[in-house]
Amino acid sequence: MSLNSDEKNIRFLGESRVGWRDRFSRFPTSLLVLLTILSLGGFVVLYSAVGGGENLDYVWRQGARFGVGLVLMLVIAMSGSEKVYRRYAYLFYGISLALLIVVFLTGTIGMGARRWLVIGFLNLQPSELMKVTLVLALARYFHDRSISMRLGVADLIIPLLMILLPTALIVKQPDLGTSILLSGVGMAVIVAAGLEWKIFIAVICLVGASLPLGWNLMHDYQRRRILTLFSPEKDPLGAGYHIIQSKIAVGSGGIFGKGFMAGSQSQLNFLPERHTDFIFSVLAEEWGFVGGLLLLSLYCMIVLRALIIASMASDRFGLLTVVGLTALFSFQVLVNMGMVIGLLPVVGIPLPMISYGGSSMLTLMIAMGLMIHVSIHSKQHGRTI
Amino acid sequence: MHSLENENETFKVDARRRLVILGGLFAGGAMIIGGQLFHLQVMNGGEYRNLAEDNRISLQPIPALRGRILDRHGRILVENSADFQLFVIPELAGDIRAFIRRVQPYLDLSSDKIEKVLRQAQRQRGFLPLMVLSRLTWPQVNWIESRIHTLPGASIQVQTTRSYPSGNVAAHLLGYLGEVNSKDILQYPSIHFRSGDIVGKTGMERMFELELRGKEGFREMEVNAVGRHIRELKRQPAHPGPDLRLTIDADLQAEAELALAGQSGSTVCLNPNNGEVLAMVSQPAYDPNQFIRGFSSDEWKILVTDPKRPLINKAIQGQYPPGSTFKMVVALAGLREGKINASTRHSCGGSVTRENHTFYCWKSHGHGQMDLVTAIEQSCDVFFYKVSETLGIDAIARQAKRMGLGEISNIGLEGERPGLIPSKAWKKAALGQPWYPGETLISAIGQGAVLATPLQLAVMVGSIANGGHIFRPTFVPTPKNVQPKPAFSHPINPTHLAMVRKGMIAVLHGKGGTARQFKPESVMAAGKTGTSQVVKHKREKSGKLIKEDNARFKDHALFVCYAPVENPLIALSVVVEHGGHGSTAAAPIAKRIVDFYFNKYGIPGA
Repeated sequence: MSLNSDEKNIRFLGESRVGWRDRFSRFPTSLLVLLTILSLGGFVVLYSAVGGGENLDYVWRQGARFGVGLVLMLVIAMSGSEKVYRRYAYLFYGISLALLIVVFLTGTIGMGARRWLVIGFLNLQPSELMKVTLVLALARYFHDRSISMRLGVADLIIPLLMILLPTALIVKQPDLGTSILLSGVGMAVIVAAGLEWKIFIAVICLVGASLPLGWNLMHDYQRRRILTLFSPEKDPLGAGYHIIQSKIAVGSGGIFGKGFMAGSQSQLNFLPERHTDFIFSVLAEEWGFVGGLLLLSLYCMIVLRALIIASMASDRFGLLTVVGLTALFSFQVLVNMGMVIGLLPVVGIPLPMISYGGSSMLTLMIAMGLMIHVSIHSKQHGRTI
Repeated sequence: MHSLENENETFKVDARRRLVILGGLFAGGAMIIGGQLFHLQVMNGGEYRNLAEDNRISLQPIPALRGRILDRHGRILVENSADFQLFVIPELAGDIRAFIRRVQPYLDLSSDKIEKVLRQAQRQRGFLPLMVLSRLTWPQVNWIESRIHTLPGASIQVQTTRSYPSGNVAAHLLGYLGEVNSKDILQYPSIHFRSGDIVGKTGMERMFELELRGKEGFREMEVNAVGRHIRELKRQPAHPGPDLRLTIDADLQAEAELALAGQSGSTVCLNPNNGEVLAMVSQPAYDPNQFIRGFSSDEWKILVTDPKRPLINKAIQGQYPPGSTFKMVVALAGLREGKINASTRHSCGGSVTRENHTFYCWKSHGHGQMDLVTAIEQSCDVFFYKVSETLGIDAIARQAKRMGLGEISNIGLEGERPGLIPSKAWKKAALGQPWYPGETLISAIGQGAVLATPLQLAVMVGSIANGGHIFRPTFVPTPKNVQPKPAFSHPINPTHLAMVRKGMIAVLHGKGGTARQFKPESVMAAGKTGTSQVVKHKREKSGKLIKEDNARFKDHALFVCYAPVENPLIALSVVVEHGGHGSTAAAPIAKRIVDFYFNKYGIPGA
């Protein structure tokens, strides 16, 4: 009992230092290929969303971010020993939390949303860092106490605090989308760590019961978004405008779409935020049902590949890390698409690897780097898909 | 020990089951999304396509009418007029070249213009309206309207444009409009500009931009696939800008412009009791309507290269040596400092010599015995040379500042220049040189480094008219029941004031007054001539002036005055660039303005 998990693994599974040659041969190339295809496709859609050649610099900037992200991903994936991220997980989490608090404190001075921290020339968004570091910290926590099989209520107090603290800070920014995302990701890690199903169901019920409370805490514009989801027609030019125009764009794409640069909704300024949060409606209008399904299946393949990495992870930390990061990725896919096609309220969550914007893409590339790191150091690495 | 490894294995089996469940949740979500996509795109794709084709909502701004600008009696100086423009939707017109061929006989487009329209037609989408020609004449509008059904895609649209019914009158004062630029955006952070917006660039149009522009409204229009309006859904009307009433007297302004016509110069008329600007003229002027119509490059070149600088508002931007109009400042400084009094006399022999340098009086054989009143009346330079020697430059500079010189008046117009009142400290700071005594003499007759704008000169003479108060010049009428407050006051000792005024009255009404030929007929006035050298005059050995013929080297002519002598109602300055003598070039203009004013309004109590 007094042994910590590091020593356990060394003793029973044997710590093997993975050499450089192996790091390359074990590299899950398929994941890299899928990500690249996704981003290249994203550039094409972005080119159309910003109106073509005149605004080509948007595509160049996005490409540059992908390049930086790729380097970051490879550095994270290839460097460090097996346990390096586990060892510093709490430290990373602590730093992120501290930065969030700084934003929170300075943010109370200004009006409106404040999510950025400017450090010299660098614009840092601590809530993005928190997405990844929360997963690492939770994985470390459950890794360290892997003895009991089923997690009871008492085992959940600390992890829930670890989730709620940053979530509360981010709600206050206010950034409802990211805070929902964060709690969803935390939930996924807890479930994978072995939550009693009874507790899981109880929590779901609790969340359901506390919805009215959440409703009271919401900003007016957040309430309006939820209300308009159910009846967008009531206010076609106000809050319902996004949803109606986006649904028209998606629906009018039909089976094969209107063709590249030929979507009238996309090209005629009827779609708001069409290069950021609503970029999927551009894709769906111009590439149709076929394009939409293609994108959806690309995402599915990436998620599937990530879950395989999780199942082959050498230790609990690796498994839970990959599960959490996969949840982060897939949650964004589902919420963003759901919002664009009128199934979920409009919350500011970008479409992974496609939406224009740097911080979301960098976060996801960091997450991919960590997944690949786990994959390289897994014990059953004979075959990659 | 063994059980630990076992436990790890059991966890892995359990974890895999959980992974499958989580993966299943994602797959479920993906299927719901796929299902909704199928629902929207495959099942209802046609319906949504119709919606996209036929049912679009476009938000159109309704421009707010800009407020009119009126004079103090409510006469219109700036208004809005209708501009009829021909638009065509190329997609509906079919062949755009054929369209132009059809309308060409009636529009008479230049080949440049046709080229431009065709280029624009290629650049923009076929269903967006394309402007073919603006400022259509009535016959053109009638011709097109009567054939509108045979010209598919054509439409006449009415836009309001700014118009200046009196053309050049008060051009600089009223200012002109132009497209918004980054400087405007920075200057008016409270205005939400859209690109291509029109904004005041100079004059009243700029100074009162916030008041004049009003608030834009919106129309929410349903438009179809080719951009045709189906119906209006919602409308938020624009709030027009309120009319702006100025202190300007349009008649006086027009008369002053006529008086200065053909010259290069400026005149400013103020009410000395509250600072209201009654007229502000800068000549030559330009037609502000031209800024609305647009300039050809030749027209513009002529405007900017004209040596008489028509685009400059000389009333606030022209800085001139005030010449002898500065002598009142020296006189009041001398009286205030106790260096001169009613019995001070100096003899003028036509020049004084100091340190091997000779300073001449304008009257080369001299004025003889002069006291303060006769020195002002006859504008004797030697008298003031001698007074200035006892005073020193700094005492003169202090008095000049008390009378509103050397600093901008804060009238609110952009580009106002401060003039220059030299002092020992100024010269040290600006040139790093000590002050030479001879410079004091030159400054005493408003030459050397001394500079003032016509506006400042009007304020200065106004302070003599009102006893030493400096009102900020203003274009906003002072409400009737409000006592106007001066920006600052340095009340002048009544005895001193009486002496200076007596000299100024004699300038016009005395036997030896420099402007006695041009005394106003309607009223008693007090004035002072000024002639300021543009270049140093060449003299023969004997001291006789060599005549210069080149107009560019001719002296500036100045005149300042106020009227009536008791309870003054108007204070004014006149500057005629290269006009020659103040007595012959500037004084007649002032006379004409003063006579016009008092013939029109009469003298209260007379």
